[in-house]
Parts: sequence; structure tokens; C-alpha cells
Amino acid sequence: MTDPVVVSDLRKVFKVPVRDAGVRASMRSLVKREHRDVVAVDDISFRLRPGEIVGFLGPNGAGKTTTIKMLSGLLHADGGDARVLGHQPWLRSKDLLSRIALVMGQRNNLQWDLPAADSFELNRAVYQIPDADFRRRKDTYAELLDVAALVNKPVRNLSLGERMKMEIVGALLHGPEVLFLDEPTIGLDVTMQKRLRQFILDYNRTDGATVLLTSHYMADVVALAQRVIVIHHGAILYDGALAGLADRFAATKTIRVTAPDLPADVSGLGTLVERTPDKLILEVERSRVAEVTSRLLSVSTVSDLSIDDPPIDDVIDRVFTAEDAP
Amino acid sequence: MRPIGPVRLAAIHLKVAALNEFQYRLNFFVQLLQSTVALAVGLIAIAVVYSHTESLGGWSQAQLLAVMGVHLLIGGVIRTFIAPNMRRLMEDVNDGTLDYALTRPADSQLMVSVRQFSIWSGIDIVMGVLVVLWAGLAVEGAIGVLGTLNFLVVILCGSVIVYSVWLAATTVTFRIIRGDYVMQLLDGIYEAGRWPVTLYPTWLRLTLTFLVPLAFAVTVPAEVVAGRLDGSSLVWAIVVTAVFAVGSRVIWRRGIRRYAGASA
Amino acid sequence: MSISAMRDYYVAASRIGFQRDIQYRGATFINILGFMIEPAIYLVVWRTVAIEQGGSVGGYSVDDFTAYYIVWTLVRVMNLAHAPYAWEWRIRGGRLNEMLSIPVQPFHRDFAYFIGSKFVWILMWIPVAIVLTLTFQPRLDPQPAHVAGFLVAIWTGFAVRFLLLYLMGMVTFWTTRGQAIFDLIVAGELLLSGRLVPLSLMPGWVQSVSNWLPFQWSFQFPIEVAIGRLSNIEILQGLGMQMLWIAGMGLAFARVWPRALRNYTAVGG
Repeated sequence: MTDPVVVSDLRKVFKVPVRDAGVRASMRSLVKREHRDVVAVDDISFRLRPGEIVGFLGPNGAGKTTTIKMLSGLLHADGGDARVLGHQPWLRSKDLLSRIALVMGQRNNLQWDLPAADSFELNRAVYQIPDADFRRRKDTYAELLDVAALVNKPVRNLSLGERMKMEIVGALLHGPEVLFLDEPTIGLDVTMQKRLRQFILDYNRTDGATVLLTSHYMADVVALAQRVIVIHHGAILYDGALAGLADRFAATKTIRVTAPDLPADVSGLGTLVERTPDKLILEVERSRVAEVTSRLLSVSTVSDLSIDDPPIDDVIDRVFTAEDAP
Repeated sequence: MRPIGPVRLAAIHLKVAALNEFQYRLNFFVQLLQSTVALAVGLIAIAVVYSHTESLGGWSQAQLLAVMGVHLLIGGVIRTFIAPNMRRLMEDVNDGTLDYALTRPADSQLMVSVRQFSIWSGIDIVMGVLVVLWAGLAVEGAIGVLGTLNFLVVILCGSVIVYSVWLAATTVTFRIIRGDYVMQLLDGIYEAGRWPVTLYPTWLRLTLTFLVPLAFAVTVPAEVVAGRLDGSSLVWAIVVTAVFAVGSRVIWRRGIRRYAGASA
Repeated sequence: MSISAMRDYYVAASRIGFQRDIQYRGATFINILGFMIEPAIYLVVWRTVAIEQGGSVGGYSVDDFTAYYIVWTLVRVMNLAHAPYAWEWRIRGGRLNEMLSIPVQPFHRDFAYFIGSKFVWILMWIPVAIVLTLTFQPRLDPQPAHVAGFLVAIWTGFAVRFLLLYLMGMVTFWTTRGQAIFDLIVAGELLLSGRLVPLSLMPGWVQSVSNWLPFQWSFQFPIEVAIGRLSNIEILQGLGMQMLWIAGMGLAFARVWPRALRNYTAVGG
């Protein structure tokens, strides 16, 4: 089976009007419009394998949303190619649109002032979903997301979390094979977020859908994505397993050691993060981890020792700030 | 600190609005085009009517031109000064941002009435004045100095009346209906002022005289220009103006009190 | 989409349009009332003219005018269509992205929603019609052929105007100053459609010009069918003209829409 999403040298350039402040500049701009080219997506390439959940990470303006828009047919590319289920998305073939779903955190696809059930009915007609499948999916997903009792309430009367879950139900009624999720858990509380993540995992497992997910919340990515693509300034910085991210970008590891007789001076070993009478947390350069560990083991009676990558959030932060620095 | 005076307040906002809109010079030409088209349509409508008759309910073509001119003029006043503020007021109520305007050291009604202006709609005021002048010349018998003074007084009354009506309507429907419908409805009713209210059946004429006084906003000033004014109309105009100005203020105060109470 | 799938969609979508307007019935009713002011004004003006001219003007008696403008109100409710300037709000607000994400063209979605709304609006028009009839006492003497013709003509007239306004709306994909163009066209429609006054009261050259334009087929034609001023042949001819305009503008739209979309997806919402 071919890869459902194939991106090759994809490029998107925006023309941004340029104008200085001031009256004279605004007069000039009336006559001559000046533009600057901003490369939002810079010849990126990647492919998604069937059934993969991939996290798409990047700060605002990195090119994530632009890429997702191109993959869902809302923007056409200025260079390179993309194929979703074999189609070029911006040609917006009906066949393609019937097999994908785009869920953006802040947007509504459901009718605001009517019960969700009515919008589901409409979706049934839009996607020509067979009755049995329609009913099965509607009931199953609503049950799983705990909104079954709310389908007859007008959407505007639902809380943000309930609305988001309802949107997800509506988006999956036609059984899409490729799912683009843009910030799906934004604005939700922690319990809702967990619920939603579990649901996406289950859906991916049972339906085998391929999921491309963008999120600000590392927890989303950590919970869902086996693989991450990191994008910054329109270019891909990393494409691989989440675990490998730290290896690639983190310069340090975190060593936690518990012992009653820890050395007083640890300045030569690494950066001190936290110290209590019998616990020590150090950040140590990766190349020195073996050396520092054996030192600690030899001078103290260690009862517990762990070596971890720094928190993913920090790693990502460092990636982006590092790229911004001159 | 002494609260800022109404004239100064209005002037400040007007200047800001003007500076803002002068940036968009293209909007001037767009508005000019739109106003010209509207004027042309109005003139053509009158021409079509008068191609079939010499007088319409006792009004000659030149006199009807006066009605159109005043309608355009007052319409310009509404679009330039009144409607933008009412729309902003409704937005503020919907978004819950009215408090910002209410906590300034100035009268609340004043604050919400002088914040926004649609500068380029002033073209309609200019056009209205030109048409009124044209009608004044076309009508038999010059109106003279006294007539001109009458006209200015009545136009001022008319402006205050439409302002009061717009404000009262906006305040009353704060939370009942969707804001844009109110504006649309008022605009629609104002359209009835295109033609002299004397044409309408009695019950409608009375409605348009005492409930939504288009009669005093449009027809009476036109009567001044057309040389048809009788003294009692002038007195009535001033009386109705006073009633509506006071009435709308009362409605405003009550509306604000309810609003403040609700969001506390 | 197959025909049956399309029909299925239209039923589902028009139901949504219907339910939405029922949900907001207060605002909808006031909106409809607002549209009734215009014909009331014309009615009064032209009745006055006719009375002053001794009972009739340009082939229309006082009663004829009354009938004309009362039927006008129903025709107006039926020919309300998707406003061209609404596209600007749609593009700016990102709503268009949502509409483009489903395998149904926005045109069908809009058309279907409007069809659903029409039924609500007709219901709301009925009390207005009753009031107007009781007040002005028009004399209407409908033949079955006229009624049948009218029932078709108001829907085809709606389709004509819907396509016209939808095509106008496409301008928004190329410029934000479309409002000026819209005003011009609507002004033309006011004078050349029988909206302001029956075309036979306009100078001859105006009538000739109107015959080349689609406006009268959404306004004057359905009205005249209803009030019985057209022979059966003329009714059939008129329906034919409506079909022609629908076909023509439909084809034009089919060519413009992909271009408009290309323009939009080049820059995005």
C-alpha cells in the first residue's frame, strides 16, 4: 500500500506588503506597492506511512499551519509536490475530500445554533455515508467521548470541551483515512485533553487512519506521536522518533542520584539543578555521562540512580531558540 | 479634574477619525461613486414619477427635489455621525466592552455618541446641501433670510430627532435582537422619508410624525425650502425635538443602569 | 456526485437552512418586515399618481398598482439571494476554509440553505400579506394557468437572481472594493427590473435595454404572471427566458469559480 501522504520539496512563498510608517511613506505606497517575499515553507520533504501518527512541531510562524493547509487543499503550493492518497490536495478532488478530515482547534464545522445531531445528519448527506456505518460511528464515538447525551443540545450551549469533542465526532463520521489535527486540545482542561488523546489513539488503532497532528502541548505529542517532524522557519530540522529528539538536540542528560553521603562539591561534574540532603539532580554533558556516573558510584553509597533526557519541552525550546540566535 | 466638555471631546474623536480615514484615500472615491449612484437613482425616480404627473399629492417636482435633498442631507448626518456610534455601541454591548467607555470622566451618553465617525459619508451631506440649494432656486419664490434661518433651525431639530430615535432604538434593543437588524430596520424606515409624509395614509402619517418623526426630520425642512411651511410646523418641530431629546436621554439612563446592574 | 446523492444533500442542507431561520424567528421576522417597507412606499406613491391622473397611468389603474406591489412583496421574499458583500466577511473570517474542506461546492451549500430559508420566509410573509390585503383591498382574479405559472416563475426567478448575485460576489476574490460595483448593478436593477415601477411606465428605450438584462425576470415577470397581465404564450416565453439566463449565468459561474478559487488558494484565508 502506498504511503498516504508524500511531500517532496514543497514550497510556499507569501508576498507581504512592505510599508514604513509615516505620511510620506503612505503617500508613496499609494502609487507604488512594495512587496517582500516571505518563504513560509522552504522545500520540505517527508512521507507518512499508513497508520502512522506523526507530530508536527514548530513555533508560531514556523510553517506548520501553512503545510497543513496545503495538504488539506486550502492553499496551493508554489513549488514541489504533495500527494495525499494519491491526489494533489489543492486540486480538491471530491474523492480526496471524502477521505480526509481537517480538525482545527478554534474552528467550528458544526452548525452553531442547531443541535449537533442535525449537523451529523448533514454530514451524512455530504459524505454519502451508508446508514449503518453512520449510525455505528455516531453512537460509538459519542459514547467514547462521553457526549452521547448532548447531541440534541444546540452546539452553542455546550462548553468548549464538549464542543470540541462534538466536532471530533462530526469529523470522523465519514471514516477518514487521513486526519489533519491542528491544535485539537487547545483550550481544554487536563482531563479533557487526556480523554481526547486516548480517543485519537483508539481511533488510529481500530481504523488504521494516518494522523498528522500539530500541537503546542508537548503532552499531546508525547502521548500520541511515535514520530515527530520539527519545522522552523519553513524548514525541517528533525524527522524521526521522539526519543531521538533529545539525542539530536539535547546537549545534556539529567542525572538523579539518591545517596546519604553525596559529595559536597559537584561543580566539576555538571550543572546543579537541585540538591537536598540525600538527593542530587545534575545536568551533565552527554559525553561525560559515563564518567560522572562512575565517579558518583565510587564516592557515594548510591541507593538510586537514574539517567534521563531533559524534559522534551526544554529540548524543543532550546532547538528553537538556538535556531534564532545568530 | 473637570470632566471634558462635549465639544472638545467630539473634536478630538473627529480628528482621530479623520486622520484614520485620510489614509484610505481610495475610500473617498469609492464613497463618491456610491453617493453619486444613489443620487442619480433618486433623481431618476423623481423624473419617472413626474413624467406621468405634474404634482404628487400637491408637491411639484421642484418641491420634491427639496424633499430628496433634505433626505440626502439628514441621511448623510446619520451615516457620518450617528450610525457609526450606534453600531459601536451595539458591538460594545455584545462584547462586554462598554465599561471602558462608561468609566471615562464624561457623560456616558456623550461618550458613546461622539466616538466614531464615517468621514467619507460626509459626501452625502455635501450632496444633500447642493440638492437643497438647487431645489431652493428651482422653486418659485425665494425663501429669503428668515426662510434660511428657519431651515437651519429645522434641520438642526431634525438631526437631533433622528439622533434621539436612533439612540433610543439602540438602547432599547440592547439585548433583544441582533444588532445589525436594528440598524437595517431603522435604515428601512428612514427610506420612507424619501417622499413627503403627506402622501401616506393617515395612520402611517401620524406614526411618522409622532412615533418616528420623519415628518419633522425630512418633510418639514423640505417644506421650508419649498416655501410651504406654516408657522405651527415650526413650533411643533421644536416641541417634538425637545420631547424626543429628553425621552431618549431617559431611555439611555435607564438602559445604562440596567446594563451596569447586569454585568456587576 | 450522483443525482440522488445531490438530491439527498439538498434535502439535508435545506432542512438546516429552514431550522436555522426557525431558531432565530424573531430576528428573521423583523428582517422580512424591513423588506416590506420599500414596496409600501412605491405603492403609496404610484396610487397617488394614478389617482391624480384620473384613475390610471400608463395602463395601470389604482387597483392594478395595488395588486402589483402586493404581489411584489412575495416576489421580493422569494428573490432575496446571497449578498455579494457577504463574501468579503466569509473570506476575512476564515469561514471559506471550512466550506472548502467538504466535498460539496459552496454554491450548492448556499443555494440549498436559501431554499430551506425560503419556506420560513413564505410563512412569515403570510401575515404581512393579510394585513396588506385587508388595508388596500386589491382585486386579484387568478386563473389556474396564472397560478401554476407563478409558482414556477418565483422559483426560477429566484434562481436567476441567486446566480446573478453569486456571480457578482466573485468580484470579491479579486478586489476588496467590490461594493462600488455592487451598488452600480443594484441601482441598475432597481430601475430596470420592475422593482421601482412597472417597466411599461419607463421610457421606451429603457424597456429595450431591460430586455437584454436578467433583472426583469426576477421581479416584473413573476409579478405580471400572478396579476394576469400576460397571455399563456407570454408566460411560457418568459419561463424560457428565465431558463436561458439560468443556463448562461450558470455556465459563466462554472468558468469563473475555479479561477476565483485559484486566486484564493494562492494566498489563503
